[in-house]
Amino acid sequence: MNHALQRPPLSSSEPLVWRQRLYRVMNSQAFVACLFLLVPVALLAALKIYPVFYNLFLSFTRYELFEPPRFYGLKNYNYVFTNSTVRQSIFNTILFTIEAVPIGTALALIIAKLLNQSIRGRVFLRTLYYLPVVSSVVVSAMIWRWIYSPQHGLLNHLLGTVGIPPQNWLNDPNLALISLVIVTIWGSIGSNMVIFLAGLQDIPRDIIEAARVDGANSLQNFLLITVPLLRPVILFVVVTFTISIFRNFGLIFMLTQGGPFNRTNTMVWEVYQNVFGYLRFGRGAAISVVMLLIVLVLTMISFRVLRDRQGA
Amino acid sequence: MAANASTQSSRPAAFTMREAQLPLIMTYVLLAIGAVVMILPFVWMVSTSLKPDREIFGDSIRWLPNELDLQNYSDAFEQTNMPRIFANTVLVTAVAVASQVLLGSMAGYVFARLQFRGKSLLFFVLLTTMMVPFEVLIIPVFLLIRAFPLAGGNDILGQGGTGLINTLGGVMFPNFVSVFGVFLFRQFYLGFPKEIEEAAIVDGCSRIGVYWRILIPNSKPVMGTMALFAFLWSWNDFLWPLVVVKEDSLKTIQLGLSVFDQEQGTAWAELMAASVMAVVPVIILYIFLQRFLVSGGLTSGLKG
Repeated sequence: MNHALQRPPLSSSEPLVWRQRLYRVMNSQAFVACLFLLVPVALLAALKIYPVFYNLFLSFTRYELFEPPRFYGLKNYNYVFTNSTVRQSIFNTILFTIEAVPIGTALALIIAKLLNQSIRGRVFLRTLYYLPVVSSVVVSAMIWRWIYSPQHGLLNHLLGTVGIPPQNWLNDPNLALISLVIVTIWGSIGSNMVIFLAGLQDIPRDIIEAARVDGANSLQNFLLITVPLLRPVILFVVVTFTISIFRNFGLIFMLTQGGPFNRTNTMVWEVYQNVFGYLRFGRGAAISVVMLLIVLVLTMISFRVLRDRQGA
Repeated sequence: MAANASTQSSRPAAFTMREAQLPLIMTYVLLAIGAVVMILPFVWMVSTSLKPDREIFGDSIRWLPNELDLQNYSDAFEQTNMPRIFANTVLVTAVAVASQVLLGSMAGYVFARLQFRGKSLLFFVLLTTMMVPFEVLIIPVFLLIRAFPLAGGNDILGQGGTGLINTLGGVMFPNFVSVFGVFLFRQFYLGFPKEIEEAAIVDGCSRIGVYWRILIPNSKPVMGTMALFAFLWSWNDFLWPLVVVKEDSLKTIQLGLSVFDQEQGTAWAELMAASVMAVVPVIILYIFLQRFLVSGGLTSGLKG
C-alpha cells in the first residue's frame, strides 16, 4: 500500500500531474486522519457512545425483549427508588464500599511505603503482591470459595486450631458480605499499591531526610509527612477503588449470587438479575443509569484530583 | 527505579546504619507476613490440585501432598472439553490483542501528529467515554450484538434472529478497540521525536509511510504495554462471555471453570486443577512482560 503512495517524480507530462494531485489529496492530514480513525471511531461510537443514549432511552420504557419497547414514563425510576430489594442493593453497595475501601487503601499504602526502600527482593515482593490482580476474578473466587468451604475449607481448619468453631462464611447472613470484602481487599491491594508506589516516588527525599535529622522517627515521618503529601493520591485510589467495587460482578456471581437473604445483592448484581433473570430490560437500564451517574461523579472527582496533582 | 536506588545509596553510610537498622528488620518481617497472606490462596490452589481426594477431605491441613497426583489434571481435561475451551480463549484473546494494538496505534498516531477540524472535540468525546464502565452498558451492547445485521438469522436491519449472540464473534466484538489504548499510544507518540518524521517527509515519504516505517517499528514498549493489558482483559473477561455464550463448545476458560460446580457438589480437586491451568498462562506472561507495566503505573487503576 505504500508503493502507491510514493511521491511521484516531478514531471510536466499530463498523467503524472494528475497522479501528483491524487497523491496530494491522499497524503493530506485530513484524508489520512479519516482513513485511520474510521474503524476505531466507528467501533467506539457503536460500543461506547450510542449505548449510553440507548440505555437512557430504555430506562424510560418497558421492554421484555420479545415485543418492542414501549414508553413507560418514570415508572422504572419510581421502582428503583421504592422497591425494597433495589434499595437494599444500593445500601449493600455503599456498605461494601465502606467496609472495603478504608482498610484496603490503608493496607496498600503501608505495603507501598515498606516496599519503597532499597531492600533486597523488592521487585520479587512487588510481583507477589501484584499476583492477585493478574489472576482472574473467577479463579480468585473459586480459590476463596474453597478456602471458605464450611466442611473442609482452609479457613475453618486454621480457626479450628485456635479453638474457633467452624463458620458458614458465604451462607451466614452476618458473614457473607464481610467474606466478599476480604476477597476484594486481597484482590485489589496490588493495583492500589502500584499507584501508591508511583506517588511515593514523587515525594522529594530531602523533606523526609530533613524531618529525620530534626528527630522524627519512622512512624512520625509516615503520618506527619508522607500521608499529607500523598493526600491527592490517596483520594484518587479511594475513588478508583470505589468504582471497582461498583463494577464487581464476577465475585458476587461466583460466591454468593446476591444471597443469603439479599445480603450481598449489589447494584451490578441487581442489573444482571433484572435483565438476564427476569428479562426486565427497562428496569435494568434504569438501575444502570443510576450506577453510571454515581460512577461519573466519582470519576470526575478522581480526574480533577489527578490533574491538580500533576499541575502542582 | 534504578535512579531511586542510586539516590538512596548515596546517603551517608553511618547515618543510614544507625537510624534504619531496626525498622529494616521490621520491614522485612511485615512484608514477608503480607506476602505469605497474598500468595497463600495460590499455594493452596496448587496444593489441592495435586492431592488425591482422601487428602483433600482429611481432618488436618496438609500443605504439601504426600504423593504427587496428576489425576486431577487429566480428570479436569476429560470432564470439560478443555482443548476446545483453550482454543476459544486463545483465539478470542489473540484477536483482541492484535486489534487493540493496531487500532490503538493508528488512532493514537492521528491524535498525536495530524491536524484536522474537530480534532479536539473528537478527542474530548473519546476521553469522556473512558469514564463509562462496561458493566453499565451491558444491556444496550447485548441488544446491539443481538441486532447485528445478517448474522444469526437476522435480516439486513438486524431483526428476526439472534445476531452475534452465541458466537465467538459476539464475544470478540466489544474487545476490538479500547479507548485506553488510543490514549496510551497517543501519549507515547507525543513523546516521540518529531524531527525524524519531518526528515522523512522532506525526503519524500508519505504520511502513511511515516507511520508504517518509522513509528510502528519504534513502538515496541507501548505495544508491549497494550498487548499485556489487552491480554489480561480478554483472557480474564467473565461477564461479557457469560452473557453472550450459551453453548458449551463456545465457552472461554473463565466460563469453563463453572463446569466443576455441579448440583451434587463442587469437584474441588478438578476445579483447582482447571484453575491452575487458567491462571498459569497469565502469570507467565505477566512475569515476562511486567517491565512494560512499570511505565504504565498510574494507569493501572483505569481499566476498561
